[in-house]
Amino acid sequence: MKRQRRSRRNWPRVLAFGWLTGVASAALLAPSSLLAPDLLHTNQPPFLPSHWLGTDPQGQDVARALVQGARTILLVSLPAAILTLLLGAGLGSIAGFWGNTRLRLTRSVGVAGAALVLSALLFAAPLLARGVVGGIGLLAAAALLGWVLHRTVWGRRPWALPADALVAGLIVLLDSVPLLILVLLVAAVQRPSAGGLVLLMALTCWTTPARLMRAATLQARGHTYVEAARVAGLSDWQLLRWHIWPVTWPVVLVRFPLTVSLLIGLETTLSFLGVGLPPDTPSWGRLLAGIRQSPTAWWLLVWPGVTLLLTILSLQYLSRRKM
Amino acid sequence: MKQILFGLVLLVWAGLGLSACSPTTTATSAETIRIRWARDPDNLDPLLVDNPSAFEVTNLLHCSLLKGNEAQNRFVPWLAEAQPTTRPLGDSLLLVTYRLRPQATWDNGSPVLARDVAFTLKVMNCPGLPIERDQATFGFIRNIQLDAHDPRQFTLVCAGQSGDRVSISGDFSILPEYVLDPRGTLRTVPLPQLALPRFQSVAQAFARRYQALNLARHPERLPGCGAYTLTAWQPGRYLTLRRKARWWADSLPAPPPELQAFPPQLTYQVIPDATTATMALRRGEIDLYALMPAAEFARLQHASPDQTSLRFYTTNSYEFLTANFNVRRPALRDALTRQALTYLFDIPALIRATQQGAASPSAGPISPRIARYYNDSLPLPSFSPARAAALLRQARWQRQPDGSWQRQGAQATTERLQLTISYRAGEPSFETVALQFRSAALALGIPVQLHPTEQSLLSRQLRAGEYDMNIRQLAGNPFSYDFTSLLHSRGIGNGNTTGFSTPQTDRLIEAIPLATSPAEKARLLRKFQRALAYERPFSVLYFMRYRVAASRRLGVVPVMGLVPGYEASRIRLEKKPTTR
Repeated sequence: MKRQRRSRRNWPRVLAFGWLTGVASAALLAPSSLLAPDLLHTNQPPFLPSHWLGTDPQGQDVARALVQGARTILLVSLPAAILTLLLGAGLGSIAGFWGNTRLRLTRSVGVAGAALVLSALLFAAPLLARGVVGGIGLLAAAALLGWVLHRTVWGRRPWALPADALVAGLIVLLDSVPLLILVLLVAAVQRPSAGGLVLLMALTCWTTPARLMRAATLQARGHTYVEAARVAGLSDWQLLRWHIWPVTWPVVLVRFPLTVSLLIGLETTLSFLGVGLPPDTPSWGRLLAGIRQSPTAWWLLVWPGVTLLLTILSLQYLSRRKM
Repeated sequence: MKQILFGLVLLVWAGLGLSACSPTTTATSAETIRIRWARDPDNLDPLLVDNPSAFEVTNLLHCSLLKGNEAQNRFVPWLAEAQPTTRPLGDSLLLVTYRLRPQATWDNGSPVLARDVAFTLKVMNCPGLPIERDQATFGFIRNIQLDAHDPRQFTLVCAGQSGDRVSISGDFSILPEYVLDPRGTLRTVPLPQLALPRFQSVAQAFARRYQALNLARHPERLPGCGAYTLTAWQPGRYLTLRRKARWWADSLPAPPPELQAFPPQLTYQVIPDATTATMALRRGEIDLYALMPAAEFARLQHASPDQTSLRFYTTNSYEFLTANFNVRRPALRDALTRQALTYLFDIPALIRATQQGAASPSAGPISPRIARYYNDSLPLPSFSPARAAALLRQARWQRQPDGSWQRQGAQATTERLQLTISYRAGEPSFETVALQFRSAALALGIPVQLHPTEQSLLSRQLRAGEYDMNIRQLAGNPFSYDFTSLLHSRGIGNGNTTGFSTPQTDRLIEAIPLATSPAEKARLLRKFQRALAYERPFSVLYFMRYRVAASRRLGVVPVMGLVPGYEASRIRLEKKPTTR
């Protein structure tokens, strides 16, 4: 009787898992080649042979676009979510653990870091266009600057970095501008590549994981076993690695499904508005945008809309159950 | 102190309230006709206009001597009183004599005189000004002779003795001397000697004054003798023209269609996205939408609420969709590669998908409707990836094991056949063409990236030659066949965005306007089309039909096959039935 009740309570969880597994399988098994648009059957309604879910105004098969759109989700939203969590967790840990006075760097590192951040802000558009290569190039340039400065006496002098104030200021700054407007603004200046889009989404969505991580780290830092470990002579890095992160990491991890769901929504919205991925990259948002050209083609709203809704609901349900 | 603070707050609120209530420049009245534009004019300097929106405004602000008339299939008098008289001078020159309409006046009441025409020609030849486009088109006007007895009469000395030269000699906007050169510094300089060193200082001083006016952004500083004045222009948003309360042509007893101007105010709203424009038309936010996507047009024609609120018009046009090749790119520099890529456009299917079948394929830039000049012996472009592959091999491209194409370029470099295709974002038919081409090219092993781009950025890229392939519309007309700005070496950097020119096509382009008989002109035009069919600087995909949807608050809209597809100045508001 008890087992029956439990299984009845678990069926939404099973459904959510099942749906997400289906989406992931579709993404993995999706054909990589694009079909030639069927120009003789543009805007064809569903349930007709050859195009069971209909076609869009460009003659693209909706079913194929849905499956290939799932792959885009997997290739864009998932890496973006991982990068978002890593960035947020990293910055939150730094702010919570070192506060405003404990992080002492050499001036060379401080100057190189500031130059890195400033350059990233000033050259955001070309960097986004070049994706990962641009990022690596910038990092290499900053490292070179740091190395050159470190060879001077001035560069080797210590300096306390107000990490907590900086991260908190950045969080306030980013949160004060609505996320969509912020992303649209950057994407409108320079259409990002797929890698650029991942970077752009990560750079704008890291604030919530960072806030969570900062709070969890502040709490963990006060525990007596951390103090004991510090007294025992463990370095800051060892403290973080062995005593703080094992406690704080699960707090951020439960945020993962929600972050994925947020980023799927954001990517779809950008594609719908025509500022996200290139038009030849299949995407659910792009499929949804077809309704603007053909307002009577209900299938362009229903199929991608339902797919998107179920995916986001499943992710949100799973994250709630975890918490 | 409290009272002062209260007073300040009250003042701020009153200011905010008043600013919210005051009419803005975009406020529409019942008399305003609101027209959708896909793109902004960008530049309204008469020397630099280069897009349909800019031409439309220029033709409402200024008048030329002659104007193309589709119904009569020729240029008809506009600012000129009658058709010009001509007289050959020697073997190669032609004297074209015009007389201006006696009623024509500028906004300050002074008459439009022959010296204004002479001044305009000097502006179009003035060193230091951006005159390349005018030089390419009107460079054949060598001199102007003013009539000593009649200040409205003048004779143009033209190189070439053909009818085309006569027509084109009257197709430039006449500019007011009293605004641009009130002291008449250019008056004493003969037109052919303007570029000589002894007049250099005069020309340079004038060029500086002209440039200082920044007419590109402030066309209101140059009032023309057209029926309208520019009252507001927010680039990328809207442009408003108001009809002059007293326009000189109002005094004509029976003004010809070219000199009719009915709407008291015209507001052009820039809405690049086709879907947004359709919604704006249905919501009554605009009154006229030309070049509506075919599927939307057909849908609205059959939707009951739109049938009662809108009127629909279609007409054949001289505008065609092309796929342009940037011949400066190493991969596209040879004609065989361009020919091969042309075989990857499935034109019949594209016509069906994007135009609902209502468009005509063509072998070249002359409409098949103009049977006299259209080269019907040329085959229509067909969809044949196999033929494309064969042509690529002829062009020394070699298929690699991974399916891609490579060849040895200049200086032993390896060239890969991979392309980008750019087009105006928000235009569904362009995107369909690009997607079809990409799909066919990819199947053949040619990677193609799509670059939908905002129009003004796209125009800059085209001018700078920063593209591989581009999809755009080009417009022609049935009365003049001057391809200088589009395909001549003199047009490179201006209208010739493909960078194409060969000595043979240059010679043909120069010879066509000089042809003195229709038979010779037809022979040259057919030869020119054959040369283009081989060289393929662009591939003509199809000639379009104009589709105009207009609100029923407008009367019958005069539509035409010339750009922009309607005559804005002749649109009347529907008369409301009077109630007794």
